[in-house]
Amino acid sequence: MNSDSKRELGVGIFFLVLSVAYMIGTTTISTFTPFGNRGLDSRSVPLLIGFLASVLASIQIITIVVKEQRRRMSASEQPAVEPEEVCDPDEIACVEPPKNTVLQRIDKVVPMKLILSMLFLMIYVAVYQKVGFILSSIFFLMAESFLLVKNEERRKWRIFIILFSIGASIVIYFVFTKYLSLFLPRGILG
Amino acid sequence: MFELILSGFAAVFADPMSIAMVFLGVMVGIIFGALPGLTVVAGLSMFLPVTYVMASNVGLSMLTAIYIGGTSGGLISAILLNIPGTPASIATTFEGAPMAKKGLAGKALGLGVFASLIGTLVGVIVMTLLSPTLAILTLKFGPWEYFSVTFFALTLISALTGKSIVKGLLSALFGMMFATIGLSPIDSAKRYTFGSLQLTSGFHLLVVLVGLYAISEVFSTASAKQQPVKVLSYKMKGLGFTLHDLKGNWGNLLRSSLVGLGIGILPGIGGSTSNIIAYSVAKNSSKHPEKFGTGIPDGIIASESSNNASIGGAMIPLLTLGIPGDGATAILLGGFMLHGMVPGPLLFQQNGDLVYNIFGSMMLGTIFMAVLMWAGMRMFVQILKVPTHILVPLIVVLCSIGAYALGNRVFDMWGLLLFGVIGLMMSRFKIPVPPFILGFILEGALETNLRRGLEYSNGNFWEVFTRPISGLFLLLTVLSFATTLIKQYRASKRAKGA
Repeated sequence: MNSDSKRELGVGIFFLVLSVAYMIGTTTISTFTPFGNRGLDSRSVPLLIGFLASVLASIQIITIVVKEQRRRMSASEQPAVEPEEVCDPDEIACVEPPKNTVLQRIDKVVPMKLILSMLFLMIYVAVYQKVGFILSSIFFLMAESFLLVKNEERRKWRIFIILFSIGASIVIYFVFTKYLSLFLPRGILG
Repeated sequence: MFELILSGFAAVFADPMSIAMVFLGVMVGIIFGALPGLTVVAGLSMFLPVTYVMASNVGLSMLTAIYIGGTSGGLISAILLNIPGTPASIATTFEGAPMAKKGLAGKALGLGVFASLIGTLVGVIVMTLLSPTLAILTLKFGPWEYFSVTFFALTLISALTGKSIVKGLLSALFGMMFATIGLSPIDSAKRYTFGSLQLTSGFHLLVVLVGLYAISEVFSTASAKQQPVKVLSYKMKGLGFTLHDLKGNWGNLLRSSLVGLGIGILPGIGGSTSNIIAYSVAKNSSKHPEKFGTGIPDGIIASESSNNASIGGAMIPLLTLGIPGDGATAILLGGFMLHGMVPGPLLFQQNGDLVYNIFGSMMLGTIFMAVLMWAGMRMFVQILKVPTHILVPLIVVLCSIGAYALGNRVFDMWGLLLFGVIGLMMSRFKIPVPPFILGFILEGALETNLRRGLEYSNGNFWEVFTRPISGLFLLLTVLSFATTLIKQYRASKRAKGA
């Protein structure tokens, strides 16, 4: 199974599991029909949504499985092809490509920058109320900017990023609280 | 009606605050549109909290100005970087970049701005004239008519976006699932709240939109490999082009604007689709189709007039039915709600002054867009050099303020993060996002009208087919489904044959 088919199958399985769980969840919804049941109640539409999603997810799964079976059948009818020689036969020994480290392999599937970016945002949200807008924003702006800047340019941008993070956080706080009348948490500075 | 239009226009042109905010909005929009990786939706999300305390007419005028500027600004990077600033300018790169390489970047930019101006004007004029009439018509809608129109919109977008109709529909149902969290319409029963008080009010529309569009964009930027940006040089004298350059292209300009307008009216798809379709139509109906791709003005005119005409088109279903025409209008829907208004037929009755005010500000924004782009091109080109590692974190901080300020609760910020991750996963698994958004927005209307309709007809569902307008929309739903299925079947057959 190629990666595209795996992805499509994954989509189907995800939605099938989700829709079944969603339909089970409808049992916890209370219904209220004081004038008799002339139409639908608060449980009906979620049930309908869950049912339709499960049918569509099943179609998605069946389509991929059938496609994959057809592909296998057509592949088995064709004569087997000799695997290509990877190494040069004149060479005495083939050199194996260097094996990736664990981090490099993870980075291929989910880029490390993405994981860190999500982590920074989670920390930002978690400390927003307690630490306050200014300090949490300084941390986030600095961390995210250093993460996104190219490695070779990090040194060049260092001072600017630090000053910009501090300056922007303070300016934004005062503009929004003083001039735009919004409430932003002061946190430990309050 | 014309009196109302004129008074709306006069109100905008006489209010210095409105003029200043429209000017600022257009400028911000052009910058967001020009910067590759940042879209008009990110710009709208970022500036939404700024409009919270403004008067409704000023705030909404600013948001529509960002929309106009953002859709137009994409042409700058499409021509000078060969990277579309927004998805609405993809087709502009086909001719814009080759023209820039030939040393005709100034002419390409000038023609692009002119086509954007005409496209936006066509869209805004048709919107101004058509919306009030349509709103009067939709006032006569009962629950079955509303149900069938929203059902049509949902199925149409599921069929039109993405390559698989099944995934499009699953995406819409996924969005509907999130919309059912909280209290049910009509009888206020708690659904999927898991005992949480925060979940009782459900997820706010803006949290879903900003998370799916802006935060997921930030995550995509973090996971993408950054390419070095090389800005091509340009010289632009006056408007950048002469009337001679437009010879033989007036028909193309009008046709492409109408294509953009028509596609903009369809729910959920806007300039990002219309520019490519208008380009293909221009190529197919050209006397010299072989020249397309070599750097000729025809392609730029087609692409830029159509994507801008989609602005007015996308506003029509938003204002008359409350159904957004694209991602940007979905954010505008959130903006309307924040200012205590519900777009739909009653909007013209209850807030008529405001609607005509918005029409006026959009016209003003169109003029500002053209003037700013012609006069300030040098400045916008310089902004292309602003690094994303400074802008992207700033967008997150401002979007977070927007989410937090909705109810002064961190819960909405967690919501941003959740929908940011969902948006990222959806793009990785090639599940179209627009059906999700429309599913989330329309679930309430769909459920309310379905339940109301059944109550009125004593549980007789057959009535939805026998009423002329609802029957017509259900027929259109079947037709759009059948057409898409036939298209997808043919495409898969062609793929097998190849």
